[in-house]
Amino acid sequence: MATTAAGAQVGRSLPRIEAREKVTGRAEYTHIMQVPGMLHARIFRSTVAHGRIKAVDVSAARQLPGVFAVYTSEDVRKVIPDPYYGPAFHDQPILAIDKVHFVGEPVAVVLASDPHVAEQAVQQIAADYEELPAVFDEVEAAENKIVVHDELKPAGTFADLKHLKGRKGTNIALDFRLRRGDVDKAFASAARVFEHTFRTQKVLHLALEPFASIADYRDDGVTIHSSAQGPSFVRTEIARLLGWPENRVRVKVPYLGGGYGGKLYIKMEALAVALSMLARRPVKVALSMEEQFYTITKHPSTFRIKSGVDKDGRIIARKCEIWWNGGAYADIGPRVTQKSGFTAAGPYDIDNVSIDSYALYTNLTPAGALRGFGIPQLVWAYESHTDMIARALKRDALDFRKLNLLREGRPQATGTILKDAAIEKVLDCIADRLHWKAPFDRGSGTIRRGRGLAVALKAVISPTTSVAIVNISADGSTTLYCGTVDMGQGSDTAMAQMVGEVLNVPAETVRVVPRDTDITPYDMGTLGSRSLFHMGHAVRLAAEDARARIAALRREVGEAEGSNTPLVDLFRKRYGMQAGNIVGTGTYKPDYIPPDSEGLTTNATPFWMVAGSGVEIEVDTETGQVRITRLINVADVGRPINPRIVETQLSGASLMQIGFSMFEKMQIDGGQVTNASLADYKIPGIHDVPPIIENEVVDAYQSNGPFGAKASANLPHSGCRLRLPMQSTTRSACA
Amino acid sequence: MNVEGEISVAAPREAVFKALSDAPFFASCIEGVRDLTEIDATHYNAVLETRIAYMRFTFRVTVEMSLVSPPETIEAKVEGMPMGVVGRLTATATTRLSEDRGGTLIRYAIDATMTGKLGSMGQPVLKAKAREMERQFGERIVAAFAPGGARATV
Amino acid sequence: MTPFELAEPASLKEAIALIDPDDPDVRPIAGGTALMLMMKAGVFRPRRLVSLRKLGAGFAQITATRDGGLTIGALTPLSMLEHSAEVARHAPVIVRTMRRLSNTRVRNVATVGGALAHADPHMDLPPVLIALGATIKISGPSGERAMPVEDLLTGYYETALARNELITGLRIPPQGTARAVYYKVTAGSADDWPALGVAAAIDSDRGTVKSARIVVSAATVKAMRLKSAESVLIGGKPDDKTISSLADAAVKEADVMADLRGSASYKRELLRVYVARAVRAAMQEVA
Repeated sequence: MATTAAGAQVGRSLPRIEAREKVTGRAEYTHIMQVPGMLHARIFRSTVAHGRIKAVDVSAARQLPGVFAVYTSEDVRKVIPDPYYGPAFHDQPILAIDKVHFVGEPVAVVLASDPHVAEQAVQQIAADYEELPAVFDEVEAAENKIVVHDELKPAGTFADLKHLKGRKGTNIALDFRLRRGDVDKAFASAARVFEHTFRTQKVLHLALEPFASIADYRDDGVTIHSSAQGPSFVRTEIARLLGWPENRVRVKVPYLGGGYGGKLYIKMEALAVALSMLARRPVKVALSMEEQFYTITKHPSTFRIKSGVDKDGRIIARKCEIWWNGGAYADIGPRVTQKSGFTAAGPYDIDNVSIDSYALYTNLTPAGALRGFGIPQLVWAYESHTDMIARALKRDALDFRKLNLLREGRPQATGTILKDAAIEKVLDCIADRLHWKAPFDRGSGTIRRGRGLAVALKAVISPTTSVAIVNISADGSTTLYCGTVDMGQGSDTAMAQMVGEVLNVPAETVRVVPRDTDITPYDMGTLGSRSLFHMGHAVRLAAEDARARIAALRREVGEAEGSNTPLVDLFRKRYGMQAGNIVGTGTYKPDYIPPDSEGLTTNATPFWMVAGSGVEIEVDTETGQVRITRLINVADVGRPINPRIVETQLSGASLMQIGFSMFEKMQIDGGQVTNASLADYKIPGIHDVPPIIENEVVDAYQSNGPFGAKASANLPHSGCRLRLPMQSTTRSACA
Repeated sequence: MNVEGEISVAAPREAVFKALSDAPFFASCIEGVRDLTEIDATHYNAVLETRIAYMRFTFRVTVEMSLVSPPETIEAKVEGMPMGVVGRLTATATTRLSEDRGGTLIRYAIDATMTGKLGSMGQPVLKAKAREMERQFGERIVAAFAPGGARATV
Repeated sequence: MTPFELAEPASLKEAIALIDPDDPDVRPIAGGTALMLMMKAGVFRPRRLVSLRKLGAGFAQITATRDGGLTIGALTPLSMLEHSAEVARHAPVIVRTMRRLSNTRVRNVATVGGALAHADPHMDLPPVLIALGATIKISGPSGERAMPVEDLLTGYYETALARNELITGLRIPPQGTARAVYYKVTAGSADDWPALGVAAAIDSDRGTVKSARIVVSAATVKAMRLKSAESVLIGGKPDDKTISSLADAAVKEADVMADLRGSASYKRELLRVYVARAVRAAMQEVA
């Protein structure tokens, strides 16, 4: 491998630093990890969608030879008296207490040294439920006729949820509201008004490494190995559940076999800890592929969108009502509801906007963040709506967008001024690549062709904190400690490149230590496209701090300004031998002003994310089958830290979206997911990759970003737009 | 899972109604039902054993005749637990009888839900089996009322 | 999955003896790609599995016969079919079918015999073999017998095999000037189980159809020939009208069922369209 000159690390397409380890099968993953003396847990799950638990009979399971123990919530409460967890609400019990709220909810657990014995024992457990009426649809849930939880229990972390504390008789776990201008008046004066309703189906992350956590509880502390996207959050939450100081909780995270937002916050960790406390042995909770369908999913949604357009085709009013189907536990749904609510009206300059976004409890598998934090569901709706209006007005879809586009320096719906958001550039780039203004071959016979484009805007998840440490050893080698979890997005590589850039060393010589909360400092979590910006800044600051300390050391040992004495000699001069360290630290938290009661703020986000896509498709008019023949992904990532990784992230995200747009759907019957396996729930394979995929980043610079970058390693929402061009192009192709 | 269908039987409606509301007869029309025991006038326990090739499924079921309204409607609720695997079968079967050219037309609608492992991964197999059982049920009823059948009226 | 006995006999005779004809919980296993799914789903809990893997390489061979046919051992992995020059020459439709049959990992272990004995109507190979007029060789305690593939499949997962009979090989007759196509129609990903499979093998001479075998799968409880559709075709020179009435006959004949991959009415429409396309494609191949 050719090493580029030091000092030019940012902008290099350095191959991922963990690639060799992964492709040779040496990389460590929690799901296959063994700990001496470990017991395996298998979960007995609810078979009713909503019901009161009358009895759980575990006697037959206990008697099976080889079974170590069988536990229910009664046992859990002996070691953790208040065993409810969650990032936004403390609503999810470690094992079901009194009631079950969805089919698949954990009710009891068998422990055994042999996982097959544990599995067999689970089949011997029987539960008796008093079935209660269940609610599955989000719009129906908003009517509160069937109520999922008796009382709302916000976690207290988020100020905008506090007013919901103790509220009864409701399924609404957050109601975000935004009012800008005078929507009613604007609608009254509009030349045309359009209203459409869009729905999205339930899909899931389906990481190829299912959820897995191992807990090893001792009286003086607990060690957790977990396939988790946010080790710091896990530590805080486990410490809270145990009533312990955080320094007695250690969370170690190796590489992840995919996460996509599913492994955020706390998933199997609390259960593993409780079981290890009860068993006094290390316990591994590793789910099967099927069980992922009972753990966390993307939000299904219903979006009613209404727009008023003046005689010149300018959108003057927009009303958005969104119902988010959050399932039985809130997880991060209320945050998805609020953050995506900011941009629900789309990347358009509209003076009068009204947004109501509701997080709802239903009797389904809980929903959380999935590659885009709610944005894909919204974009699918507002960009389809945009095309439908353009068609009704007999205007070109590109021209209509450009007429209404939100431009630099203009206030977005929240009132925050748009800055460093290359919306128009992205749109133009897609149009150029599609040769939008040139004649297009619409096909003939039974194969008709269509095309479409779409663009989206997203506010990052903020305000959040990241801390990093850069350690220079006495031989001059560099180590980075940061909590960003590399789950395949290449963040370790990008972070190493930023350290290399500051310290003038090749990125591949920078060691990035695996995440371990005893060693790596705090990070809010690898989520919502925040890491490269937030952690990137922390890493930059830590490296700059180290660089300043190197300069101080040079002065201390009497080196002239600008001397190039190797570092090892500086340490020798200072300490008499190869000894000592230089430790640089960096902490970053951007400014943010929370929205007021009208949803308005002058600082909704430290940066805007912009991406779009274009497609060309073929429709078989006899069968309705659709084939994507060309897919174009364009994004504004500021200045890419690693262009090759950015490109693979864009294509990877878009392929995942092809699945969501074209065929993925959790089939649900009476609350039961009926296609809970990879045999029946299909994700895209190699034959589903369009023959042509083009990925491009527009020339841009994020002025407040680390090295001009933003979200370079993970642009989750880019491909989501695919959903829209697909739909509207299908329509136009068939027209 | 929803199943709907109709069966034409060459017998008067009263006779068909009487037969269908007689649990042992009804059970005898369903392949694999055994050990039917009456708990009270409207509740029964039974075991349903069904085979698909080399696979065997056994359910312990409870049947409640939730509505018996002569001579037209019978509604039954079925709850079952598969043996040896976590799961739950719930079904509501509504049967409506109407007079039809001297015979009787049985219209039935079954709304069944299967949860647990069989529900999540075994649906394709079980659905195919349900179709087969439905067909057999129809054949057995028709046979029972045909001349020489157990319920023949002529 | 629960513990079970795994037997690994080294001879066919031994394997047959190990299968208890009265115990459905004893099953032979070859590649295991289908049976393992059943076990994971909890719908099959074996007492004993009789692995056929050690029966010897003799059961995993592809041989071209002198007359232009093929004999294929039952334990031949699907990937061997996919990459066989003999198969490509004598039955190219099989090679084309392999590309979207599940994935490389499955094709590397799944066997020809297993693909037939499993009798899931969604499988791709059975309809193709029926169209090609293939027969299987079966061994049991009382000796050998042969059977056309179309007679093997009797229902969803059901076959005409006795429990202690094993498929040992496959014979594909010479195809002469006949040409075959297979359409796998998926509603999900390209390598999903099909919503519909249609295979057709047609032999024609200057546009006049001499013989035709048309097979539907996936939408029906078993892969089966559509003989009424075939009879519309045979002996004539098909035009648009013939093909349209052939498609009607196919839809009338097939008892189409709904599943996760499509409603019965949608699948009937798919069948109408794809039977016509299959016939046209097979005819075009001839020309």
